[in-house]
Amino acid sequence: MAKKNSNDEFRPQGTVAILVIFVITLVVLWGSIYLILLGRGGTV
Amino acid sequence: MSTQAYEITPKDKNFIGWHLAVAIIALAIGSLFGPLQAFEHAGWDLYKYLNPLIKSYYQGLTLHGVLNALVWTTFFITGFLTFTVIYGFKRPLKYPTLNLIGFLLMVVGLVLAAIPILLNEATVLFTFYPPMKANWAFYVGLTLVVVGSWVEGWGFFYTYAAWRKENPGVRTPFIAFGSIITMLLWQIATIGIAVDMLTMLIPWSLGLLPGVDPQLSRTYFWFTGHPLVYFWLLPAYISWYAMLPKQVGGKMFSDSLARFAFWLFLILSVPLGFHHQYVDPGVPPAWKFIHAMLTFSVFFPSMLTAFTVVASLEYGARQNGGKGMFGWMRALPWSNPSVAAQLLAGLLFFFGGIGGLANASYNVNLVLHNTAFVPGHFHLTVGTGVTLTFIGISYWLIPYLTGKKLWQPKWAVAQAWLWFVGMIIFSNSMHILGLLGAPRRTPLNLAPYIPAEWNSRLFQVGIGGAILFVSGAIYLTVVAATFWSKQPATEKVEVPVAEALQDPALGPAWLDRWTPWVVATLALIVLAYGPMLFDLIKNIALTSPGFRVW
Repeated sequence: MAKKNSNDEFRPQGTVAILVIFVITLVVLWGSIYLILLGRGGTV
Repeated sequence: MSTQAYEITPKDKNFIGWHLAVAIIALAIGSLFGPLQAFEHAGWDLYKYLNPLIKSYYQGLTLHGVLNALVWTTFFITGFLTFTVIYGFKRPLKYPTLNLIGFLLMVVGLVLAAIPILLNEATVLFTFYPPMKANWAFYVGLTLVVVGSWVEGWGFFYTYAAWRKENPGVRTPFIAFGSIITMLLWQIATIGIAVDMLTMLIPWSLGLLPGVDPQLSRTYFWFTGHPLVYFWLLPAYISWYAMLPKQVGGKMFSDSLARFAFWLFLILSVPLGFHHQYVDPGVPPAWKFIHAMLTFSVFFPSMLTAFTVVASLEYGARQNGGKGMFGWMRALPWSNPSVAAQLLAGLLFFFGGIGGLANASYNVNLVLHNTAFVPGHFHLTVGTGVTLTFIGISYWLIPYLTGKKLWQPKWAVAQAWLWFVGMIIFSNSMHILGLLGAPRRTPLNLAPYIPAEWNSRLFQVGIGGAILFVSGAIYLTVVAATFWSKQPATEKVEVPVAEALQDPALGPAWLDRWTPWVVATLALIVLAYGPMLFDLIKNIALTSPGFRVW
């Protein structure tokens, strides 16, 4: 992305990409713990 | 936002400095015991060499928790907020004597609480759950610390009222706005612990009550305990939102989003304490579910914060020539210790947020509850997101207050990286140990049930603790050498307050009105806690005797 000189032109694309990665990481890590829960059966 | 410079008086600098001094001394002493816990887990038990000074792992754990989680944070926050209120409003405190009284009350309370802890008469950990029973001085001391912080908060409120009278219709400067909300949150949140102390724990510890109701006490505690996390976090957010962008050469991406997030934190931080009590038998599942949903609602202002802060950083980096989807991060001033510490704190805090959502999930929590996962989690949040940010703030604030040049900034940068690496090793191991079933609050070296699969992780806990110890020692060295340095700053330390991309005066006026937000906050607390508290108080059972289990 080219250097931005105007406030109006600024689009935080890198920020959005980072937050997408964060949400994917969140889902994967949360899901892995959920699988541990399932693996231990109904009584944990 | 007005970013015009304002000169704080030497007297006010001194007052703020005393807060930081007490905070850093508490951090220094408390941090001595953190690595001892980690070493114990790795099989290197140093506690036996500390006897009779420190009698047990649990006494050390109490010192670590109280001094680091309660004292370091509360004193640093009251000091930092004193700074942001004065600098934000660009006027002195309305009643400085009131704030001085508050500070002195906190110091007296700290000394009063410290005596029984050091005498092994209050080895009840920083959560002090009854029926474990400490010496009365511990409870009275902690109460005075809280009351003192209230009084300091009242001083902030009077100062805000005076500023408002002088500036009708002017948008509240963000750093002062965030500080007042933080203190308001604290005043509301600590009602729980105040009622617990005054109506049960203190009279019980003095022998005026025959017993205690642990279920009710735990409910009071977590009424305060979870918003306590936001009392720690919001000052860090003030820096991330409004100061860090200036330090990286940028601007605050959105003043309005920041204000909106702070209001949401005020509304949503308190009515969710039951997510800490998922396995408490005295709380019906429906209430636990309601609090679970409210806990997840905090994810929204948290994501607003993540977006706004990272966008502000990206803006600054691109102004400095940063390019690419992720390459702009290299253009951030990583050689500035204050910036490096806060960026690394924020990075690990992302993972703390993920762990927090797992903790808050009603069913998934059953895998994690009371395991090593929990301290692994909160060492990413309060132990890094908050503490490393406060350390980063101190790297410019201490030179500002003292007029001295920061001693060896490269060492300070190394300190931040060592904290980051040490915490990754320590916290990752603790999270995995928790998932493997290792209990928290347990001297695992003494446990006869350790399976082989825990061993490598326990060793890593020790390694992480050792690196964190080195990092802490470097921090204290940098602070002490700066304080006692004879070398004045070659140039005046600039207070980093960022402009917003858009003039805050153009933002919605309802973001600067207090009544609707405060009413909503109180209403949600009544709805989420009222019926259960009414039921618990109506059926109060002061039947449990006190136990001394240490």
